[in-house]
Amino acid sequence: MSSAELREHAPAAPIWDAKTPADPTFLKLKGVTKSYGGGFLAVDDLDINLPKGKLLGLLGPSGCGKTTTLRMIAGLQDITSGTISIEGDDISQRPPYRRDIGLVFQNYALFPHMTVAENVAFGLDMRGVSKSEARGRVEEALEMVRLPGYGARKPKEMSGGQQQRVALARALVIRPRILLLDEPLSNLDAKLRDDMRVEIREIQQRLEITTVFVTHDQVEALTMCDLVGVMHGGKLAQLGTPEDIYERPANLFVAEFVGRANVLGCEIEAVDRVRIGSSTYPCDTKGASSGKATAALRPHRIQLSPSRDRSLVSIATNSTHGKVVRVTYIGDVVQYDIDIGGSVLTTEVHTSSAGHSFRTGEKLLCEWKPEDMQIFKGGR
Amino acid sequence: MTTTIATTPSMSAATPWIRRIPLVVVLMLIPMAAINLVAFILPVARLAMISFIESRSGGVLTDTFTLENYIDFFTDSFSVELISNSLLLGFIVTLATLICAYPIALFLHRVSPRWRNFLFVITISPLLVSSVVRTYGWMVLLGDQGVVNGLLMSAGIIQTPVRLVNNSLGVYIGMVEVLIPYMALSLIAGFGRLDMVFEEAAASLGANSWTRFRRVILPLTMPGIALGCLLCFVLAISSFITPKLLGGGRVFLLATEIYDQAVIQLEWPSAAATSVIVLIIFGLALALYSRVVKRFD
Repeated sequence: MSSAELREHAPAAPIWDAKTPADPTFLKLKGVTKSYGGGFLAVDDLDINLPKGKLLGLLGPSGCGKTTTLRMIAGLQDITSGTISIEGDDISQRPPYRRDIGLVFQNYALFPHMTVAENVAFGLDMRGVSKSEARGRVEEALEMVRLPGYGARKPKEMSGGQQQRVALARALVIRPRILLLDEPLSNLDAKLRDDMRVEIREIQQRLEITTVFVTHDQVEALTMCDLVGVMHGGKLAQLGTPEDIYERPANLFVAEFVGRANVLGCEIEAVDRVRIGSSTYPCDTKGASSGKATAALRPHRIQLSPSRDRSLVSIATNSTHGKVVRVTYIGDVVQYDIDIGGSVLTTEVHTSSAGHSFRTGEKLLCEWKPEDMQIFKGGR
Repeated sequence: MTTTIATTPSMSAATPWIRRIPLVVVLMLIPMAAINLVAFILPVARLAMISFIESRSGGVLTDTFTLENYIDFFTDSFSVELISNSLLLGFIVTLATLICAYPIALFLHRVSPRWRNFLFVITISPLLVSSVVRTYGWMVLLGDQGVVNGLLMSAGIIQTPVRLVNNSLGVYIGMVEVLIPYMALSLIAGFGRLDMVFEEAAASLGANSWTRFRRVILPLTMPGIALGCLLCFVLAISSFITPKLLGGGRVFLLATEIYDQAVIQLEWPSAAATSVIVLIIFGLALALYSRVVKRFD
């Protein structure tokens, strides 16, 4: 599949690892729509196919419909139209308790009146699993989330991270067909979040359980997921691998929402170049040959060098001169804001123990590869 | 409750707990403590004392202490009837009130905040009307020529009026209506831990609506249920206006008996002894309440 195809990729088209012989449509959302009174569409005609054993991240700002989508899969919210099916089995109209789904909530939702073991055993009890078998499976599940022997505790006696693990054990012990995670890490502090990210991914891959993960955190989406669906205004802005999303954003929204980007207004001069200000830059305009457009350029993809090195500039790169207007030291990187005549480019350079080399007012040469500049039709 | 009192770290653990209470807290507690002492603790102590005093005919109190009043109470077979009538009233009215008020409270807990305050005021608005007035209202509604019998007869369900008033049934109906606002208030106050997300979690784990109610909603609302039941049980057993009016003098309870002994027969020591027995019943109810609350906390 070429990159051009990916960019114009229709959401329903399957994307999966060719090596995996898995069913490409284990979880299938077809035309799923949720509307509230007054014609407001919380989720608008969503098509998603998720292969078995894959982790899909639904990423987007608050109010984009990602949580509503998850709740519709879980059956906690009715769908207005469309169908949701697991392995061809249409579950759209089925109540949540007959969907066989494991669900982990943002605030854990552990039953406060039950012990940890009772919480984990709840779903097994509902399935009529015998007490003795349940005991074994509960202990197994608690071991899996590295909480062996915690069964007798009450949820309130545990930390947030531990409660989250119990919630995960409770959702997984019933061996659900799919696992749904609703912002599971957002109530944890930064260090714990990093650990849990790795842990959840590890468990998900070991159990090969098809999972949908809702998050507003792009790092979580990019690092944990096989597929990322970026949502915006109830629609799927792009569905693809983390690399697709980051390197080949389908539209300006995705380019700006995932990672950081300099956004510059430009004029398309031909299919292979645009004009920004008074300079012309080679790039791929995705077939457009004229009209207003917007260019997106990642800060760390811009190379900086002292102005005098102009002779070394390859004709294969884009370059422009500019003046440093602001230096911001962040720790692992230094951010230089560079005035390139009319607009300001934000750039990032990794720091070293030698310190950072450029100062405010210094004249610099900025270079980037044509393929690092994404062009989207339409002005701002 | 020393744990709730703010202490500064400089104060050593050896300081008596009473000294560690900030002065302003002590000052703020004094008025209520004084009122409680004068208006509750002293009268109850006096009541307990009178219950041990011998009285002569005509209600004259002597200086002699005796256990006679209690012995009389427990050897009289009528007392057994009084206690069992009162306990039965307490249990039936409390249970019926709970069944009526629980759905209201659950609804108010779940309804959108926009409507909650308005509906809440509606729920407790009967408290604005004196229970005496409401009881008279029930006498009109439940009488032989009343609205209820009239409707039932015109619908052809019954041929002759059913006795709905001047008996225990009338008292139960009236008491339940009087107590519903109190029960609803207590339930809502005790529903703090109930959150929709627990029901959703239970549903995702495979629990149908009945199981969700039994395994999640009911245990989580137990503190409210215990509080409401305690309050209504105590109010039901101690009320005497509604039983007197709707019972038509045919329903004999501890509370009505205390009233008769004290006001009609002027047998203060007997009335005091009966009151102390009612107090002991309340004490037992309170102990049961604490156990339930601890169990479900």
